[in-house]
Amino acid sequence: MRRVAVIGAGITKFGKHDRTSAELFAEAAAEAIMDADIAPNAIQALYFGNVTGGETERQLHMAPLAATLLGLPSVPTTRFENACATSHVAFRHAVMEIASGVSDVILVGGAERVLNVPTENATEFFAYCSDASIEQPAGLTFPGVFALIARAHMDKYGTTEEQMAHVAVKNHRHGTMNPKAQFRKEITLDTVLKSAYVADPLKLFDCCPFTDGGAAIVLASEEVARRHRRPIWVLGTHAATDTMFVHEKRDLSRVTATERAAQGAYRQAGKTPADVNVVELHDCFTIAEIVATEGLGFFEPGTGGLAAEKGWTSLGGRLPVNPSGGLKAKGHPIGATGAAQIAEIVTQLRGEAGPRQVEGASTGLTHTLGGNTATVLVSLFGRD
Amino acid sequence: MTERVINLKGFFEEARAGRLTGIRCGRCGALAIPPKEFCDQCQQRDWKPVPLAGTGTIVSHTVIRVAPRGRGGEVPYAVAVVRLDEGVSLLGRVVDIPFETLKGGLPVRFRPLELEYQTLIGFGPA
Repeated sequence: MRRVAVIGAGITKFGKHDRTSAELFAEAAAEAIMDADIAPNAIQALYFGNVTGGETERQLHMAPLAATLLGLPSVPTTRFENACATSHVAFRHAVMEIASGVSDVILVGGAERVLNVPTENATEFFAYCSDASIEQPAGLTFPGVFALIARAHMDKYGTTEEQMAHVAVKNHRHGTMNPKAQFRKEITLDTVLKSAYVADPLKLFDCCPFTDGGAAIVLASEEVARRHRRPIWVLGTHAATDTMFVHEKRDLSRVTATERAAQGAYRQAGKTPADVNVVELHDCFTIAEIVATEGLGFFEPGTGGLAAEKGWTSLGGRLPVNPSGGLKAKGHPIGATGAAQIAEIVTQLRGEAGPRQVEGASTGLTHTLGGNTATVLVSLFGRD
Repeated sequence: MTERVINLKGFFEEARAGRLTGIRCGRCGALAIPPKEFCDQCQQRDWKPVPLAGTGTIVSHTVIRVAPRGRGGEVPYAVAVVRLDEGVSLLGRVVDIPFETLKGGLPVRFRPLELEYQTLIGFGPA
């Protein structure tokens, strides 16, 4: 298998936009292609992610539309959908197409637009990513899924609502340093703890926002990447799946797919959790970050809350997590998130993250979770 | 090849009549909520339907206060994962139990709930 590198990255400002998902992706993709310093027609395929376009924009078949708007109407395209892990899944498949020798340069990413519909509609469309036979009729929402996880973690380990609030405060602080972030204001523990319950024990400020935005990266084979001034190498990428049914999860305080995806990615990369310097992980809810830092092997099970409380995961701490502001403050356009996380790690490993730079970072990890913790991808990146 | 013993439609028809049905693997004895083709424990395709008593205890719960479109009139409502006495779990709406008394280990009993055109899994006091 051939080595694969990221040679370009681009993201739109995250927040509310009055442009379509396909337009948002095209803008991010143009930025990524300029960043890669390649001719647009060097792109041999587009791997594109979008989740709710059929519902929010009455637009399916969005991958060729995105290519058309980009000015590359003849590249082969594929649309991916795995809930919030969508563009990380697209990324892994693009890596495999290059590693196998089929293509040398592929554009990967995604876009989402949901702020053009009312919150209750967006809540409904996102709930389509849970099971429609038992879970949707019961009225389970995504905050509800993570509330069940939070309660189980609290019961088993004594994790507190205040520890969860620390994750929100930290990621909002990081977001102030990211010009692309949806929210760039610091919040306090009180802001979180006094916000209204959405699904007990999760409150409004434990939840990431609805977001419009696009993200794209350019992947290249080693031969192409060697001619590039600052390739960031893909050291490993692994996918894991767990049962879609929340009632079948063996232990609600864990996300076993995260643990399996991480083990696979570390093995492929020849790395351990101790080798990782910077992390972008899936903090769709504050408890999700706590559970992920445990599942990825950074902290012992049950101590993720303590890590947040002690500042171990802050910029300047022992392992900075979500320097971009994470899904919580940077925002979460679900089809774009996986690619946006990779874009941040690429920026960090290039040493170009400005005030939010993790000094000397040479190995980074991204973790993206989809749906009822059913889909998880973990990838590792390095400077060499 | 075995016939499919119970599908989703059958599971909900039974549930509507107040009967909760599981499936048991004829090879390894694993218990599951239908439908399933292969047993994820032993990879066999040898299910037999088994009646479930419908009694169990709460594993984890939440009170939903922001609902999807069309469900706003139902908030606040409680949802829980319940471990049934036979050892298999199921997610459902919890009714007729004060929110503040909900906790892990609380005994509950299955009851079908009718919501417009669909049946949903409910749990009430044991």
